[in-house]
Amino acid sequence: MTRSPLARAAGAFLANPAALAGLLIFVLMLAAQGLGPMLYGVDPLDIAAPPLSPPDGDTPFGTDYLGRDILAAVLVGGRATMLVGLTAAVLSVSIGTTIGALAGYIGGRADALLMRITEFFQVLPALLFAMVVVMLFRPSLGTVALSIGVVSWTGTARLARAEFMRLKGLEFIEAARAEGATDARIIFRVILPNGMAPLIVSATLAFGGAMLFEGGLSFLGLGDPNVISWGLMIGQNRSYLLDAWWTVTFPGLALFVTVLSIALIGDGINDALDPRSINH
Amino acid sequence: MSISIGRRGAIVAAGATGLPIASHAQAPDPKRGGTLVMLGASTRHVNPALQSGTPAGIPGTQIFASPLRFDDKWNPLPYLAESWVLAADGKSLTLNLVKSAVFHDGAPVTSADVAFSIGVIQKNHPFKTMLEPVEGVDTPDPHTAIIRMSRPHPAIMLAMSPALCPILPKHVYGDGRDILTHPANTAPVGSGPYRLTEFKPGESITLARFDRFFIPGRPYLDKIVMRIIADAPTALLALERQEIVYIPYVTTVRDAERLGKQAHLQVSDKGFEGIGALNWLAFNCAKKPLDDKRVRQALAYLADRPRMLKVLQGGKVPVALTPIHPGSPLYTTEVNHFDYDLKKAEALLDEAGHKKGADGVRFKLTIDPIPGAVETSAGVAEFLRGQFKRAGVELELRTAPDFPTWAQRVAGQEFDLATDAVFNWGDPVIGVHRTYLTRNIRKGVIWSNTQSYSNPKVDALLDAAAAEPDPAKRKAEYKEFQQLVVDDVPILFLHPFPYTQAAHKGLKGLPTTIWGPMSPWDEMYWEAADRR
Repeated sequence: MTRSPLARAAGAFLANPAALAGLLIFVLMLAAQGLGPMLYGVDPLDIAAPPLSPPDGDTPFGTDYLGRDILAAVLVGGRATMLVGLTAAVLSVSIGTTIGALAGYIGGRADALLMRITEFFQVLPALLFAMVVVMLFRPSLGTVALSIGVVSWTGTARLARAEFMRLKGLEFIEAARAEGATDARIIFRVILPNGMAPLIVSATLAFGGAMLFEGGLSFLGLGDPNVISWGLMIGQNRSYLLDAWWTVTFPGLALFVTVLSIALIGDGINDALDPRSINH
Repeated sequence: MSISIGRRGAIVAAGATGLPIASHAQAPDPKRGGTLVMLGASTRHVNPALQSGTPAGIPGTQIFASPLRFDDKWNPLPYLAESWVLAADGKSLTLNLVKSAVFHDGAPVTSADVAFSIGVIQKNHPFKTMLEPVEGVDTPDPHTAIIRMSRPHPAIMLAMSPALCPILPKHVYGDGRDILTHPANTAPVGSGPYRLTEFKPGESITLARFDRFFIPGRPYLDKIVMRIIADAPTALLALERQEIVYIPYVTTVRDAERLGKQAHLQVSDKGFEGIGALNWLAFNCAKKPLDDKRVRQALAYLADRPRMLKVLQGGKVPVALTPIHPGSPLYTTEVNHFDYDLKKAEALLDEAGHKKGADGVRFKLTIDPIPGAVETSAGVAEFLRGQFKRAGVELELRTAPDFPTWAQRVAGQEFDLATDAVFNWGDPVIGVHRTYLTRNIRKGVIWSNTQSYSNPKVDALLDAAAAEPDPAKRKAEYKEFQQLVVDDVPILFLHPFPYTQAAHKGLKGLPTTIWGPMSPWDEMYWEAADRR
């Protein structure tokens, strides 16, 4: 029993084949986005072949309605999608954790008020609300990430609140308070590190969810039209779906595989950090 | 499938040399009966005297008759007016009305109704130039109406068209109530081939055969149901499944081709010369750096329209070179074609003082594509982004979630470039002048001179052509106008909208005159007995 908790969790994670597969796929996708464009060397905005050419030797994934190479776009499109997903996830987890922590720690009227606000956001149809936010501003990566972050934090808030309510009554918190620690210190240095496990899992899943969300917004024509993303590719080409399946299938597959890998990683972290799984 | 200018030109020429031409293809004996269930469009009312556009125009031209109608070669034909005389000085048009025409309520159609209707249209219709010089309508007897004008106004003939001059019964619409909110706008009384039986806003418009229509034996159909389906793909599927049997305006080549391959359907690209719909790229001439003609010309040289149409429309749509629709007899190709020329474009941009920066960029522009089918809006913008980049001009797309958002930006003149869809409406005076006259720069009004284009020579030419009674001289003036505007590039004209009408094969007598679906369907009938 000399291993640190972190090393033990890492070991549990790597021993989980599903989690390992998820991590491998994700790293592969990252590498494809990072090195792919250089290796493939085709400008995704250039008209490379006749419009809607099926996949062949020159254009392995075919071309879109303007004759642009779909493989080149798929290799670039993940950057915007992942960037939006990451930004939105950070935003969503930050808002959610802050509100949940305050509600759970302070309790009483503050809790009631903050939870009513959370419920207000929870009952709004998320996609519609995000559409309104994007329409109010001009569609850009920033506004899309903002809109996704603003509508998707409620789950994290409830989770954080529950963790804080559970932990704040425990003896070591009482001990910290008796030592004269301030509320801020107790929240950030004492409770938060101990309640981190579910929040990390929640953040991982939020990352994948936000990527899907970006795809949905772009599909509805509300993505940033100036930056190639998988969602934008699907949205722009969806009216050609019946005539040219490859225009939407490949970006769709890329999105699916990436989100799936992130979900597997999230599950793996969850299992690895779960104290009940230590003895297994 | 394709819109062929050559073919049309040949037809016009044949008409001019007096060769006998068969009137539009018609089977020898049309048969009575049957129902037409078709695609309708949402409209607040069905009174085309107050509103332009196809949603009110299509049902409106079935319900209301007009003084004249037109064939497929721009020739006027008798309708409510059995004959007419345009005075030698061009300042009056005498209409001799048919004596047998009655409104749907049984009252006779008289010259007083014509005078009343022209007054209503002049006062309320958005096309202000259409009847601008009309001073009044004399009614010496119940069947003679004389339209008096302050100056020659050749556009008056096309202004008598079904969609532009519906004859309203004075005893219904002139009862003193406000015409704009008159209840008869949704429960209309006209003298056209069909009468309205049900108006369900946003859902359907139902028409029934008017048994006392003044043309004996017509119309042939018993009933027309216009079903409103807002979503285009759903409407196309409904046609494929025969839930509806007629779509008057199919808007993309791709859709028309798909429908044309169906064994039970027929498609036709005839019948869209009158509205003359153009897709174009508008430049905001009041904004730097687009206020410099050389910059606009450079962008025109970069655009490479033939290649754009090859990519986006499969090469099945021709380039429209000028402000006048290629289907109009006034169209000319003797203008600058702006064939793709990267060197010339770069030279013009250098000359205008926009040298390439260290990053290879000269300047950045935004483009607002009009919400619509990809290949006529966002696709155009995407294509141009690649073209302009070759000369160091960055183009940023600013997509609008809906039409009002786009219209607000363009009408408010808060744009650099925009793709736009604008209709000619038959005579240039009606639909073309508005885009180029300096005095029509009206902030906040969509489809005015939103480009802030101003050329005194163009203004003078347009005013002269509007009042020119001699057709040859008028044509020459419009030719010079087209040459000037094309060279100034307030707009880069792209292509005529590839409209087609698609219908069940058993439906005969499709409206293929210049006004197409926006003309009375008194000749439409079902061939197959089981449809009747």
